[in-house]
Amino acid sequence: MIRFAIRLTVVGGREAVTRLVIIAGAVALGVALLLAPIAATNALGAQNQRYAWLNTAVAPTVKGGDSLLWLIHGDYYHGRTIGRVEVAAQGAHAPLPPGIPRLPRPGEYYVSPALGELLATTPPAELGDRFPGHDIGVIGDAALPSPDSLLVVIGRTPADLTALGATRATQIMTTAPSGCGQCYAGFNANDIAVALSVVAAALIFPVLIFIATATRLAAARREQRFAAMRLVGATPRQISLLSAVESTLAAAVGTAVGLGLFLAARPSLARIPFTGERFFVADLSLTAPDLLGVALGVPAGAVVAAGLALRRVRISPLGVSRRVTPRPPRGWRALPLVVGLAELGYFVGRRPASTNGQLIAYVTGFVVILVGLVLAGPWLTMQSARVLAGRARRPATLIAGRRLADDPRAAFRSVSGLIVALFVTTVATGAITTFVAHRGAPRTDSVEATAVHKIFWPEDGPAPTPARIPAGLGSIPGVRDVTLVHRADDGGHWLAVITCSDLDRLAVYGRCPPGARVAAVNPGLVDTPGTEIEAADLDPAAVAGLPIMSVVVNTANHAALEQARTLLENAFPRGQPPASEGEREADNSQDLVRLQQLASVVIIGSLPIAGCSLAVSVASGLSDRRRPFSLLRLTGVQLATLRQVVAIESLLPLLASAAVAIGLGFLAAELFLRAQLGYTLTPPGWVYYAVVTGGLALSLTIIASTLPLLQRITGPDTARNE
Amino acid sequence: MSVPLTLLGLLEREPSHGYDLKRDYDTFFNRGKPLSFGQVYATLGRLVRDGKIVISDAEPGVGPERKPYVITELGATEVNTWLTEPVEPEPNLQTVLFSKVVLALMLGRPAEEYLDVQRAAHLRRMQELTTVKRGGDLVDALLADHGLFHLEADLHWIDTTATRLDALRAAVGT
Amino acid sequence: MTALEARDVALSFGETPALRGASLAVDPGEIVAIMGPSGSGKSTLLHCLAGILVPSAGEVLFEGDRLDQLGEHQRSVLRRDRFGFVFQFGQLVPELTAQENVALPLLLGGARRTAAMAAAEPWFDRLGLAGLQRRRSGELSGGQAQRVALARGLVARPSVLFADEPTGALDSVTGEQVMNLLVDAAHDQRTTVVLVTHEARVAAYADRQVIVRDGRVNALVRS
Repeated sequence: MIRFAIRLTVVGGREAVTRLVIIAGAVALGVALLLAPIAATNALGAQNQRYAWLNTAVAPTVKGGDSLLWLIHGDYYHGRTIGRVEVAAQGAHAPLPPGIPRLPRPGEYYVSPALGELLATTPPAELGDRFPGHDIGVIGDAALPSPDSLLVVIGRTPADLTALGATRATQIMTTAPSGCGQCYAGFNANDIAVALSVVAAALIFPVLIFIATATRLAAARREQRFAAMRLVGATPRQISLLSAVESTLAAAVGTAVGLGLFLAARPSLARIPFTGERFFVADLSLTAPDLLGVALGVPAGAVVAAGLALRRVRISPLGVSRRVTPRPPRGWRALPLVVGLAELGYFVGRRPASTNGQLIAYVTGFVVILVGLVLAGPWLTMQSARVLAGRARRPATLIAGRRLADDPRAAFRSVSGLIVALFVTTVATGAITTFVAHRGAPRTDSVEATAVHKIFWPEDGPAPTPARIPAGLGSIPGVRDVTLVHRADDGGHWLAVITCSDLDRLAVYGRCPPGARVAAVNPGLVDTPGTEIEAADLDPAAVAGLPIMSVVVNTANHAALEQARTLLENAFPRGQPPASEGEREADNSQDLVRLQQLASVVIIGSLPIAGCSLAVSVASGLSDRRRPFSLLRLTGVQLATLRQVVAIESLLPLLASAAVAIGLGFLAAELFLRAQLGYTLTPPGWVYYAVVTGGLALSLTIIASTLPLLQRITGPDTARNE
Repeated sequence: MSVPLTLLGLLEREPSHGYDLKRDYDTFFNRGKPLSFGQVYATLGRLVRDGKIVISDAEPGVGPERKPYVITELGATEVNTWLTEPVEPEPNLQTVLFSKVVLALMLGRPAEEYLDVQRAAHLRRMQELTTVKRGGDLVDALLADHGLFHLEADLHWIDTTATRLDALRAAVGT
Repeated sequence: MTALEARDVALSFGETPALRGASLAVDPGEIVAIMGPSGSGKSTLLHCLAGILVPSAGEVLFEGDRLDQLGEHQRSVLRRDRFGFVFQFGQLVPELTAQENVALPLLLGGARRTAAMAAAEPWFDRLGLAGLQRRRSGELSGGQAQRVALARGLVARPSVLFADEPTGALDSVTGEQVMNLLVDAAHDQRTTVVLVTHEARVAAYADRQVIVRDGRVNALVRS
């Protein structure tokens, strides 16, 4: 029986084969989109593990054996982070970090390949001079979180390293940062893994709709074939088997192709900086359970879906000769939508405590809204169609309205992918735009980006004397000014102060309040734009005698900034390397960058899929219309009127649902932002509107392109009684 | 031609003069070709001789065309038999069938049943002809086909008439 | 024992009653023609007798057992193994060759492909379809397609053959051809035939004719 079923599937004729090919294609897309986040999650874990050794400072102590003196700082070059590790062995068998053959001796250092390239192309005054000694080799891949990582392992004497504040380590850390509470190098893989699963879900939805649309292609012919077999005595079970074999075949082929697609896209996938750093291609792997799960799960899912679809159709031996009007969609369909919105609304003012709690709350809310949108679509279409038909004055509007109200499901199906894509895009864009507006990424020419500072925190030791500030700072070409900020101690706590005459002279760091003579400022001098500077009750003359809090150098170009940084670093090796406010901000807004990347992926991924879905269903809708429209034409309805009918039938669901999806997207984004962050929604920029308009315009083009075909396919020969 | 039986039937409806009989016959049964008086009286004479009708007491001094005729038991039985029994299915039965239906309606008899019975007889005959066609040689088949087509035409008429009986009843009822 | 019997069968489509207390008994080996005007319910009666539709009232018996009380699965199996069907159109599977179409009931019954095709083969010569075994249904003329359908209806040696307007889409000569073959084959295999038609000349091939009027069966006089 199964062999017979296979044969029946394969000899189906051009229409049936096209259908199976499209289904296989849709499944291939779905599989590739499923494998990508799975592999990315695996890569996430792998990359996380790669960061482990950088947290050796908090590695648990091991008794016996030699120890290592360890110091790590984050340095910057042109906004990119450099991991600066300084080590000193305390014995012949000190623990050895991965990626290097032996510990560097004082005056030696190892660099990562990316840093090595940078060193080769940059003037030493801007970069190379920061590292004492000479380059003796390359750090192996095993120690690098990413191929682009900038890492340097510098050898020091134990005495030097102790003076800089190193810790003693008896073993290299092997626990990944997400499993270790005190680790600060690396990232929290769990958060990103969850975000990835949300992305996977957001992309899978349009694909599922695409698959469902493809399955409906040529449904009428297929049902007729099944009816003929039922007449002859095929049991319903046998028909289900036939349908299942068909689906399994298509799904199996699709899965294999999807695997190939994924493998081909792997290198490009690795380049997406989900975590801020790109992956090693080899890390984007699939475990055996992953592969097995997908290879077996997808065809199994296809079989189940086919079975469910068949269950709704009830193929009787008398077939589809009697076209009964399908039941209209009921009002309850709008319910899940309302529930989802209510859920998100509930959390406004009641933010869940844990990250997990938040994710569950918002993700379920969004998913329910998404599902609700797809469920409510047909009902919305029917209602608007009824209104249209009731107020129709032209025959085309009347016919289109009645046809839509009669079978709204079919009309909505074709645009459902687009609707989902629009909703997801709107939510993502709305949320991101608001984030950026509130957190604010600094402008590249603002003083946050151009002024580099070195802060002498009291905990790091005594402040330097003015004589120790490198004299060459001011003479670096491109340096605008060098400013000292002093520290006024007041009992237990301290204030960073500067005279108002200096502050006002510099102008870029803000203005003193009127009447003040000394100002209390940020130690780095640069503050969030709009912050009010307060007065300090001090004698201006006394300020110069106070201990130095920080050195702030404002520059006119990158080269000057890096040179100033190098000079400062070498003069003051102890403590955090000098950095600009913008660079420190960038660290904090890693989440933002990641989210933007993910959102872009979702948007770029889902819209084309939705487009494919629309194209397929428009084509299938065309062939469904053949017979009724041919008959209409024969009874004297003009071609122009029929074209109008097709246009209205396609446009009404598209535009109505698009408006609802976009409106709901903004509403959902607003609720989420209010609940999680207390922000209100900022309207998105022109890019969003361009993308949405572009998407809609493309859909309109696809629909419009079928109108000329109407004449050919409704020719008189199609109305023959076959 | 069934003229005698038709006249007999008309007399079953009510006693009539020869003049009225001819007029009724021409109106309802034979639009194209009116009966001649001679034929009417010859037929009436024959019927009297057979005992199927009798001349009732007439007013004295009235001519033959004014003599009322009345149907007898024998005559009524003959009409009944003719109506209830189907006609042997042969081609070219239109006039006979037609007469029977109209008369049945006039006399208030169940015309539908008569049509059903006739239909059964036709089908039976068609069955026989089909057997002949299947078993016999080409000539037999041709003749059988001829009969079959005509019988089919009759059946079409029977079906159509069956649907029109109510209207016909109204038109014929006087 | 009758081969097939309907007792007081009633069925409605929504508000419209199609059958209201129709009764019919068919003897084994008999060819019965069900006639009637369109909309009279004759096809519906055939569907009830064949187990395609389940009546809302009344009984349908096949060889003495209740047919209307069986489930969908069992009725499908019955249709496949004990009944044959020839309908007016739309019954051949377009993707299969003629021979495969004829073999279909056997294949669905679990027969191996070679055995089923071998059983289908002799029908082609018998019904004047020699050489057409590998054609698709779209490549056959109306008469050829109906003969293929007839072969398919008889290949499993059914107890009852149901024919609903088998010659409806054919011209009279082709139609007679099909009816001749049908009656010959039925007599050969002693198959009971239930034939629905509105044409008297087709009904004349049957042993007995009944009329369905307003959802009831009006038996004409038996021969």
